Amino acid sequence: MGKYFSKEKWSYLLYTLSHPMDGFYWIRHQERGSVPIAILAVILFSFSFSANRLLASFVVNDLDPRGVDSLYELCGILVFFLLMCVSNWSVTCLMNGEGRMKDITIAVGYSTVPITVSLLLGTIVSQVVADDEQAFYTILIGIGIAYGLIMMLIGIMQVHNYTLGKTLITLFLTFVAMLIIIFITLLLANMLSQVVTFFKSIYTEIIFRG
Amino acid sequence: MKLKIYAKRLVSALLTAVVLATGVGSVAEASSLPYSSYNYTYWEDIVFTPAAYVPRSSVSGTRLEFGGESIGAFVNPQDLCKSPSGDIFVADTGNNRIVVLNSDMTQVINIVTSFDNNGMEDTFNAPYGVAVSDSNQLYIADSQNRRIVVLNKDGSLARIIENPTSEALEDGFVFTPLKVAVDYADRVYCIAQKMYEGIMVFETNNEFAGFFGTISVDITLWEKFWRKIATKEERSKSQLFIPTEFTGIDIDPSGFVYASNIDSNAIQGVRRLNPKGEDVIKKGANENLGGDLQYEGNTDYSGPSQFTDVVYRNNGIYSCLDRKRGRIFTYDHEGNLLYIFGGMGTQAGTFSMPVAIEDVGGYIVVLDAARAEISYFEPTEYGKLINEAVSLRYDGDEAQAVEIWKQVLILDENNELANTGIGKAYLTAGDYEEAMKYLELGRARDYYSVAFKRFRNDVLTANANVFLTGAAIVIAAFVVYKQVKKRRKGERRNG
Repeated sequence: MGKYFSKEKWSYLLYTLSHPMDGFYWIRHQERGSVPIAILAVILFSFSFSANRLLASFVVNDLDPRGVDSLYELCGILVFFLLMCVSNWSVTCLMNGEGRMKDITIAVGYSTVPITVSLLLGTIVSQVVADDEQAFYTILIGIGIAYGLIMMLIGIMQVHNYTLGKTLITLFLTFVAMLIIIFITLLLANMLSQVVTFFKSIYTEIIFRG
Repeated sequence: MKLKIYAKRLVSALLTAVVLATGVGSVAEASSLPYSSYNYTYWEDIVFTPAAYVPRSSVSGTRLEFGGESIGAFVNPQDLCKSPSGDIFVADTGNNRIVVLNSDMTQVINIVTSFDNNGMEDTFNAPYGVAVSDSNQLYIADSQNRRIVVLNKDGSLARIIENPTSEALEDGFVFTPLKVAVDYADRVYCIAQKMYEGIMVFETNNEFAGFFGTISVDITLWEKFWRKIATKEERSKSQLFIPTEFTGIDIDPSGFVYASNIDSNAIQGVRRLNPKGEDVIKKGANENLGGDLQYEGNTDYSGPSQFTDVVYRNNGIYSCLDRKRGRIFTYDHEGNLLYIFGGMGTQAGTFSMPVAIEDVGGYIVVLDAARAEISYFEPTEYGKLINEAVSLRYDGDEAQAVEIWKQVLILDENNELANTGIGKAYLTAGDYEEAMKYLELGRARDYYSVAFKRFRNDVLTANANVFLTGAAIVIAAFVVYKQVKKRRKGERRNG
């Protein structure tokens, strides 16, 4: 455990946040990152996401708090995270990417940190803004999301040792791969349920004949 | 010990029985209404409210007498209106007559079947709409005779509006007036069949003055795209983009025209037209004046509300009649939905084909064409309180409205309008904390922000010394820390 959550790993997370180019490079080449921290970052991101939806002041928040289910959102975000890592890995494997699954997970996980922070700060700031000061809140969250996305781009680029253009192409292909995975999963689920119904009907048939 | 428990149980069972026995009566009374009263929250969820209006009675022609004889059932009546003196005029379309009732609809005052047209006796043919002007002249949309007949109070002919001529009208246009309304200057507003350009306006000299309040057609980019790539044949088969017709019309004392129309997008089913014909109606927080907000499904009963008539009541309150689900939607001058009641059915208080609505001294009167009946609704305490509070607010008397809003809250705890009303009063009184509490419950973002800003200002000014001292200490600490760090670095380098 200490290996994954050591002081160096935590301080290296901070270093990566301020120096994404170098940070992600050494994560790939010197094992400076930590997968558990990345997963923890994603879980924290999901919490702050739900917290923002639930607790942001009603001046900036149009949502019905009864419609927010943080457990559901946690599952959704984790599935999305897994899907993203897997599809990025599958695409980059075919496109000479140097990154391992581990590196991709860290790159994606670490880059959620700025979004988490901005959502939390935004939730606090939202308590002290009025209707016509919404811009502060929006800008704060906007900066966080932009920073996170840029970090993710740099992260993917560095761990695979890609150029920017190639990263953008792979990201697009990652998106396509995600859709394909979702499609196949749904198809599989549908087929499986049909098989199950088939055996169920055989069973009822036998019961009734017997 | 056991005995004690039994005794306790017995007592509690008895008490429960008493509560049930006394309570059942009121519960049964509440649920004896043939419809449910509800409203929409800020999040457009349905929330059930106490009934605002309850059916009191219904009036059919068979039970009315004139000159000692029964007047017979109405046949397909299409319109009713109220005269300034409170009499009710019913356009008994199928019987080609106008029936005049007294204000509580127990007696027939008069039946208009014919009039003297320059020495000849003239009758009506399917009179579809009626209106009474401030000078007690009776305006009748004599639809199949293609004219509007204006009669004086004594039944003599005042004028006839027919054969409108204008460049704006197509050749071979057949004038079939359906609904009429008349304003304080005796200008006549008429909804004619297949007249998509808007409401027809006639001046006092019977001249056709022009169209009024045309509803513009919005074609989306997507529809434009499809029309572009469609062949000529396809285009001719697809439906035309024509504006919807107006369905009902009413005029408020200051001369603004309220007109209902059927909006298939369920966004705006009623318009308030200024003398220039521009729509100046205010929409509420959810930008909707289309009746039901939730109407999903694919049965006959689903789909957007279809407003067939509108009545301006008083103090900015107006009610719209939905012929789809037989509901009456009441809005205030800010476009807030006040209450909803009514429904389709065969019980008293429900409709099978509602066509016209009128306000008679605070009561709501609805004409049903298929059942040839007039339904009479009276306000409950809840309805009366809301009407009163909204009226006070309309007059700018928000402070007085608070007491009434508080009573509304006792009956309906989640009433957003009541919470907003109370919050606004606290805001004017300067109690910003209470104001914020109520305005948040009422989800009035704009007023909440005003209260919040003032509250924030108060807190900042009251604690200015604390904040400023705190800031000074933080800055000082930071400077000292920097100095110390610098010195240490220097020492390390030297040492």
